[in-house]
Amino acid sequence: MHIDPLEKKWAQISVGICALFVGIIMIDALFHSVNAPSNVETINSATLHLSEEFSEDNLGVQVDAEGNIFVRMVAGRYSFFPKKVTVPADTKITFRWVSIDVLHGVHIPMTNMSTMIVPGFVAEVESSFPKPGDYPVLCNEYCGLGHDHMWSKIDVVEKDQWIAPQTSSTGAAE
Amino acid sequence: MTELNEEERKKILESAPVGTWALMVTVGISMVIGWLFLYYGVFLSRGIIN
Repeated sequence: MHIDPLEKKWAQISVGICALFVGIIMIDALFHSVNAPSNVETINSATLHLSEEFSEDNLGVQVDAEGNIFVRMVAGRYSFFPKKVTVPADTKITFRWVSIDVLHGVHIPMTNMSTMIVPGFVAEVESSFPKPGDYPVLCNEYCGLGHDHMWSKIDVVEKDQWIAPQTSSTGAAE
Repeated sequence: MTELNEEERKKILESAPVGTWALMVTVGISMVIGWLFLYYGVFLSRGIIN
């Protein structure tokens, strides 16, 4: 089969570029622990409202005894609950997401937050918000006819203006 | 457009395709720079998810 020399060179360059990209990703994955979200923690989606951690009173922002900030959110067709949370800027925040019905996803622009929320599993992602402001929370997995209306909001305020909520008596933040 | 004689036509066809090479290298380098910016400047700088 005849292949034009110029075409052959361009194919070699293309393969070389792909090899470079894959090589960088492999090196980071093997030596710097850059992996896809891999928290495996199961939960019964049918009884979330009865669970200690994701009962209605424990949703939203909580601070544990060590000062770590947790945000627990429930995704359900077609919203994230609670609808609005307030967190401090430039602070490590651990988000824990669960779904009450079907497969959802969550994306918060300008942050590292992008993960699937699989029914029966808890999706845990550590994130932070570089600047104060309103950040939209968007569903990025098609979940039904109302998918494009599925959103929530995170209000990010300056660290010194943020008032930590009272820790729940259930101790769910631990 | 001026008509090329056979000699000119042969010279063009047998010479190195400098313009095509320049385009290939420009596209290749731009793609690599763009990818590296997105990977190191956007993806990794926003924090690793594990």
